[in-house]
Amino acid sequence: MELTINNAPVYVATGGKDFNPKLPTVLFLHGSGGDHRTWALQTRWFAYHGYSVLAPDLPGHSLSGGEAFTSIEQSGPWLSDFMEAVGVKSAHVVGHSQGFLSALELARTAPEKLMSITAIGTAAAIPVNQALIDTAKANSDKAAQMMCNWGFGPDAHLGNSSVPGMQPIAISRAIMSRNPLAADLQACADYKGGADVVASLSVPAHCILASADKMTPVKAGMALAESLGVTPTIIKGYGHMLPLEAPKQTLTALRAFIEMVQTKRAAA
Amino acid sequence: MTKSSYFKPATIALHTGYTPESDHGARAVPIYQTTSYAFDSVEGASSLFNVEQGGHIYSRISNPTVAVLEQRLAALEGGTGAICTASGMSALFATFITLCSAGDHIVSSEQIYGSTATTLRYTLKRFGITTDFVDINDPKALKAAIKPNTKLVFCESISNPGMQVSNLPEISKIANEAGVPVVVDATFATPALNRPIEHGANIVVHSITKWIGGHGAAIGGCIVDGGNFNWGNGKFPEMTEPYAPFHGMKFWEEFGPTAFVMKIRSEAMRDLGAALSPHNAFLILQGVETLNLRMQKHVSNTATLRDWLAQQDGVTWVRHPEDDAKPFVAEMFPDGAGSMLCFGVAGGREGGAAFIKTVSLASHLANVGDSRTLVLHPGSTTHSRLTKTDMEAAGINEDLIRVSVGLEDIKDIQADFAKGLKAAIRAAG
Repeated sequence: MELTINNAPVYVATGGKDFNPKLPTVLFLHGSGGDHRTWALQTRWFAYHGYSVLAPDLPGHSLSGGEAFTSIEQSGPWLSDFMEAVGVKSAHVVGHSQGFLSALELARTAPEKLMSITAIGTAAAIPVNQALIDTAKANSDKAAQMMCNWGFGPDAHLGNSSVPGMQPIAISRAIMSRNPLAADLQACADYKGGADVVASLSVPAHCILASADKMTPVKAGMALAESLGVTPTIIKGYGHMLPLEAPKQTLTALRAFIEMVQTKRAAA
Repeated sequence: MTKSSYFKPATIALHTGYTPESDHGARAVPIYQTTSYAFDSVEGASSLFNVEQGGHIYSRISNPTVAVLEQRLAALEGGTGAICTASGMSALFATFITLCSAGDHIVSSEQIYGSTATTLRYTLKRFGITTDFVDINDPKALKAAIKPNTKLVFCESISNPGMQVSNLPEISKIANEAGVPVVVDATFATPALNRPIEHGANIVVHSITKWIGGHGAAIGGCIVDGGNFNWGNGKFPEMTEPYAPFHGMKFWEEFGPTAFVMKIRSEAMRDLGAALSPHNAFLILQGVETLNLRMQKHVSNTATLRDWLAQQDGVTWVRHPEDDAKPFVAEMFPDGAGSMLCFGVAGGREGGAAFIKTVSLASHLANVGDSRTLVLHPGSTTHSRLTKTDMEAAGINEDLIRVSVGLEDIKDIQADFAKGLKAAIRAAG
């Protein structure tokens, strides 16, 4: 699906089905340098099981036009406008890494637009090594390589893939190296407001964390879970790129949480 | 460092794509000798068919043993994904028909394997796909040959049998600027010696029957997606428009850097049925595990034999890809340009035949890339019906002996060839 926000084209993956705003909607937000393909093995399940799916390429990323955000705070109003443009009043919002920070800013901007929030491989703040940011500014391919080396866990580095014949690390590197990684990383490094938004959240929340996460260590994720008052799902043996390297486990945890929220909403 | 891992190539060749925890702790990659895979539930079956999750349905499309080989070769080449096929020719055919439809056009190097040339010149032509053959290292000729309907530029990184190295950085620059992907048959090089994607190529094809398998035991092919081509440039509607037989999927949108291999998996593997058997995948995996070591030995034996031949009576000339002094050859092949060489023998056609009849360690057959030394004399076999003039027009001299240098002790290869050369000299009178 394609639409225009702020005079720039926006590409939105809908999980292989036409978008229907009447169905409960799950909004997936990718992380630094990523795009909708982060969620290839989660979105289609939701789209084929009673949900509508929105997985946009954020501005300046992959198939979307425009300029990348220079601050996380810019993403809140943009996401609010985006939801209005597609006719969605509220959604289950799922964010991976930086995508969760964007979800927090949506919550700050328009809290009524969240039915639930899920944090995947992330924390309330994502400090970024200045050397990585500087590398991304000078050479995005090299920075993508550094990100993938740290970001993926040992199983992915052994070349295991849930999709036969594919190499998730090489795929991520190819996507990241063409996207505005430096702007994303700088925005993450500069973002300080996450803890305040987390404290103000009133919607159901969940955390799906990776035990071998070197980008947002599980300790930081555990602190986020504690702030949210939730028991996190910790997927053992995998790294920061959970939706890509452990797609089935990520989907299972995500399904369980969103279905539980839906059940409670139906009962209420 | 490769694009798929922090591990180095020798480690990738041994480990990538399989960990023993997954199958009863079996250390070697198991052979999944099965046609199909039981669904765990109705919902599970639906999710596989809807592409909600990865997995195996039917071994014509994918198989766990074959997938290990695919993932290993993708990692070794620095690609985003790979598909293995029943042979190198089926890998090429799948690639051509995935990118081209009736009315489309291919630009190919004129120096390519005979069967590939036949596919391009005759078979594809019957389906409305035409090919122009050019001197691939002539930038002006390449630029001039690319038309609005050109869908790919094809070459071999080391050509068979001419042993010309294709200038991949230059070829890729010209083709990609014209919005056309570069497909490279890298069979003679293997990823141990040259990785075309690092030089700008977009798709790499192998006959893994040859050095990658390395033991002359199994036929197979492979296609590696570089993940570095913009299929959304307006020239490839088959990648960007909905594909009705497969959920109306738009491959470029859905898969991005793996759009090409996913299209092959979804279409060519279904339609051609040219699946690699799991047993052959297992055999070829044994070769992959020692690829780096073997290629070092192949190259060192070749260098020694090349120097030795140049000093022998009865040898009229010696040709090897490294004879070309252009800088790109050394830049592309810092660890040696493969283990194929050609040489001429005294006595012309008769001398060549005498050489072949006399050698005993070297095997006389129509294959390359075996662990054993292989020789072929086109003048008395594949081209025996041609006149001297016709052979020279095909770039093959009557006295030409083609050698695929094996892993035997080099002294034994030299001793065997010395006998053959004496016979050639006798034949020359």
